[in-house]
Amino acid sequence: MTQPDIIVKICAGLGGVMSGSTKVIDAFNQVIEARKVNAQVKTKVHKVGCLGLCARDVLVDVFMNGDKHTYQHVKPEMVDEIVEQHFIGGQPVEEWLVDEDYENFHKFQDKIILNDCGRIDPESIDASIEIGGYEAAKKAMDMDPQMVINEVKKSGLRGRGGAGFPAGYKWEHCRHADGEIKYVLCNADEGDPGAFMDRAILEGNPHAVIEGMIIGAYAIGASQGYVYIRAEYPLAVDRLRLALDHSRQRGFLGRNIFGKDFDFDIHVFLGAGAFVCGEATALMTSIEDKAGEPRPKYVHTTDKGLWGKPTNLNNVETWANVPSIITRGSDWYASYGTEESKGTKLFSLAGKINNTGLIEIPMGMPLRKIIYDIGGGIPGGKQFKAVQTGGPSGGCIPAKLANLPVDYEHLDEAGSIIGSGGMIVMDEDTCMVDMAKYFISFCLDEGCGQCTPCREGLHVMMRILTDITEGRGKEEHIQQLEDLSDIIIDSSLCGLGKSAPNPVISTLRYFKDEYLAHIRDKHCPAGVCRQLVPVSCQKACPAGIDVPSYVALIAHGKHEDAIRVIRQDNPFPWVCGLVCPAPCEGQCQRGTVDKPISIRRLKGFAGKYTIEKMGSYKNAIETRRNEKIAIIGSGPAGLTAAYYLAIKGYQITVFEALPEAGGMLRVGISPYRLPKNVIDHEIENISSLGVEIKTNTPLGPDLMIQDLLDQGYKAVFLGIGAHRPLKLGIKGEMAKGVMQGVTYLKDLNLGNPVPDSKKVVVIGGGNVAVDVARTALRKCSGDVTILYRRTKKEMPAYDEEIEAALEEGVNITYLAAPEEILVKNKKVVGLRCVKMALSDPDASKRRRPVRISGSEFEIEADLVLPATGQTPELNALKEIKNLEITKLGTFKVNPMTMQTNVECVFAGGDAVSGPTTVIEAIASGKKAAKYMDAFVRGVEMPEEPPAPLKRTHVPRLEVSEEKMEQLERPEVPMLPIEKRKTTFKQVELGFAEKVACDEAKRCLRCDLS
Amino acid sequence: MEKEKMDQIIAKFPETKGNLIAMLHEMQNEFRYLPEEELRYLSKMTDVPMTQIYSIANFYNRFTLTPTGEHELSVCLGTACHVKGGQNVLNRCKSDLKVDKEETTEDLKFTLKVVRCIGACSLAPAVMIDDQTYSEVDPDIVSELVQSYQAEQD
Repeated sequence: MTQPDIIVKICAGLGGVMSGSTKVIDAFNQVIEARKVNAQVKTKVHKVGCLGLCARDVLVDVFMNGDKHTYQHVKPEMVDEIVEQHFIGGQPVEEWLVDEDYENFHKFQDKIILNDCGRIDPESIDASIEIGGYEAAKKAMDMDPQMVINEVKKSGLRGRGGAGFPAGYKWEHCRHADGEIKYVLCNADEGDPGAFMDRAILEGNPHAVIEGMIIGAYAIGASQGYVYIRAEYPLAVDRLRLALDHSRQRGFLGRNIFGKDFDFDIHVFLGAGAFVCGEATALMTSIEDKAGEPRPKYVHTTDKGLWGKPTNLNNVETWANVPSIITRGSDWYASYGTEESKGTKLFSLAGKINNTGLIEIPMGMPLRKIIYDIGGGIPGGKQFKAVQTGGPSGGCIPAKLANLPVDYEHLDEAGSIIGSGGMIVMDEDTCMVDMAKYFISFCLDEGCGQCTPCREGLHVMMRILTDITEGRGKEEHIQQLEDLSDIIIDSSLCGLGKSAPNPVISTLRYFKDEYLAHIRDKHCPAGVCRQLVPVSCQKACPAGIDVPSYVALIAHGKHEDAIRVIRQDNPFPWVCGLVCPAPCEGQCQRGTVDKPISIRRLKGFAGKYTIEKMGSYKNAIETRRNEKIAIIGSGPAGLTAAYYLAIKGYQITVFEALPEAGGMLRVGISPYRLPKNVIDHEIENISSLGVEIKTNTPLGPDLMIQDLLDQGYKAVFLGIGAHRPLKLGIKGEMAKGVMQGVTYLKDLNLGNPVPDSKKVVVIGGGNVAVDVARTALRKCSGDVTILYRRTKKEMPAYDEEIEAALEEGVNITYLAAPEEILVKNKKVVGLRCVKMALSDPDASKRRRPVRISGSEFEIEADLVLPATGQTPELNALKEIKNLEITKLGTFKVNPMTMQTNVECVFAGGDAVSGPTTVIEAIASGKKAAKYMDAFVRGVEMPEEPPAPLKRTHVPRLEVSEEKMEQLERPEVPMLPIEKRKTTFKQVELGFAEKVACDEAKRCLRCDLS
Repeated sequence: MEKEKMDQIIAKFPETKGNLIAMLHEMQNEFRYLPEEELRYLSKMTDVPMTQIYSIANFYNRFTLTPTGEHELSVCLGTACHVKGGQNVLNRCKSDLKVDKEETTEDLKFTLKVVRCIGACSLAPAVMIDDQTYSEVDPDIVSELVQSYQAEQD
């Protein structure tokens, strides 16, 4: 038979078949036939076993004129062009060839077993014989059996199934055991999840395994053999059966093999889906027509194994190594690997790695080389976190041990095992607690149920791990897991139980912090444990409050506990319960069913309830520290920073320019929305921690930042807000009767006199403008009009506020802008305005207001209150020369940490963001506190922004489906409209307890599903 | 009772010793479960007590004592598939077929099974429908697969 000129080898391992190699093989045959390629050059297409890099399948090797080219991701429709351009034209199709990465994948491997896997047709015994198949068996049979054993002993070959017992010694023991009948078995019950080496060998080169068994049987003196193979590997089963038939036909199996006085045959035993049958004694029990339960190993199976006869069991890979050892000699084999671990080992690389596939490397290769040089690193630029070796019986090796040589000894030291060779790579998105739970659940499912430590012990471990991953973890759980692991390892009957706790032990050894994050912070850093991942409402909250938990606590009637949960992220529950724009409600999933949960009002209810019942909230200072920290400004940002720093134990002084504390809460929001007593209560709860608030103490010549630092303050927080109103920039602004809206509110809130008016015009569309208008309506005898240059849709004020204003009788004139304030006798008499139109959306999708020429009109007014925005008052900070300020006149900070460019100075709130919401200010104050604490203690500043944390676990309250449907979002009782117009009494009256509890029950508890 | 089929199965094996599990494999493939009457017949013909047969039938995942669907949809939750989102695939199968794992659809078309590693880790997540393996699936792909099998039948 002449060699064909072109040989095409197509991967027909499982990876190849799954990617469609059967169709590719057909396509090649068809195209070669149709194009009459064979008439010009002889071409042979055949299937081969796994080519290794399954991630690139279908892989096609083309051998032509002594050159080899490999195509990747081949599809049937590509075949035409490959044949045309490459086979006929002699030019390989460059763009479909494998890249450098593929070369690297193979470059660092040493292939003894896999060498033939991708070269020969696994369904042809001739292909095997052509490359020297069965020559080793022939050679062995010319040797004395003991010589064969000595050779295997000298090679240092150790069992590849997991335990790593020296194969030659096992053979020798079995050879010398008493008994006429002996068995050799091949363990092809490759049940370790993540391992597919044996499958690939059986699919790629089944004759190597058969030949190894023949040699073993001859050396041991066995006449019967079994391959125990998983039914889950149908392709491997078919190829093995075919190979056995061929082998019998050629006389390599049967009677008088190679003319010697040696009979041997191999049966295929199909496993029926039981992981435990990979254990030696269970496997034998299974062949004996029984449930595969392990037996105690008082007596070695090499003495009494299958049917009570001496039995030698090795796994597929071990057997496949034998022929090369006999052919090429033990010295050659032992030249691979390390002192104690000889030869090569197959690993299946899977999980979060670029080049998933099958590899064969010399023992002792550093893990880093496997992951990065062969495996091509981690996909998507993610961080390599750990690799799990040895399946459920093994452990993880963390990234920090990447230089570890991979051999029996080093892996054992690191708390893992080589096992059968599965390597599952994990990246930053893998949760190690979840992984440990996965393996325990695996062993729990697969255990035979015979012995108590394994059956019951794993069950308890599973319960604890479930508690931890679902937010019910306790600190003592870690100790319990460790204790249980010890007991189960010490007292289980078989290898499954004895090794089942390993994944827990090794994750606890290397990733205890991750367990603690689950237990203490109710936080899954990898974002895997769903019940510990913030749900949409929590994510929507700038301060990341654990919304579902506190809503659930209110449903349970535990309102004070709800407050405790809220105050871990926001020290102003009652305030926010009245004035927060509640972005959480916009993301509430119940809103997609009917209406969102009234989250804001529930928070307000819990605050009010707790204060009224208890007089105050409960605070607990974690520790005492002597360092002093100064907070400038007592608004929500400053007081929040003060609160969280005080809890950390710092000595806090707050300096406030105005006569009363509270910042914009106090002077920027009208009391009918936010009554003074609410602010007083919540500030009192902060000052009761020992926070000193010095009012009437503005920054300036008497209080310089430098002075504070000289006095020993370790850090300063600038929460000075944005109190300086922006000018309109039109004529007449200085006249009597023009007053800045914020100044008007401030004067009123501080009890200073404000002018009366018959005709008020407020300019602006934000919350301040609407608040000013509603305040003026209450204070003045005349009517109030808001002038806004866009339409209602574009108004930045909250809809609820606009509606309330309209209801109370405020007029709003849209699409109008003032051009001049009309003055008579230095007093305002009116405004000259112009009508506006909205432009088409510009690049930023915003519709700008455009002046309509000739549409000028005048309106009467005796009090004009502009409220078009504010900016921080920076004059007093000129002393710090190099403090960076943005173009908008706010402090420039690192948004991760709220630190300014001056190291000990942090900033937050409106002074950084410009005027925004209370909850944003609280969020920035909280964040600043966290990093100021790190700064003062001199610990490294974390690079990540803090993730919203699940603060507690609240079980689901059973609510009948019927009731769940009946309940509706309640209306909140309001002060009667006639009273609203004339008094500053609180308009929103809040929920009664029953209403609040019912409303909280409507929550769908997305956090639990 | 399918006596004829049972006799054929039993006749395939020259002796019972070491072949009982293989016979049960044949029965499972033939009937798509292990029917009681046929098991009793097997017990009688092979002289293996029913207790032993039952202990095997209960122990191994491959065998079922209730009828399974025409197609077996096995979702792999081996480690690699678990890490790469096999659970999401399983969840979709459950909702598409309206069964829990190890259950059979009312029309006896599908049995949904969970398997632990079919050695297709390099192309995870994987599912198997009968003997056909599908790689790198996601919930949408699996939905389409299920639909294609359903359509084939109608």
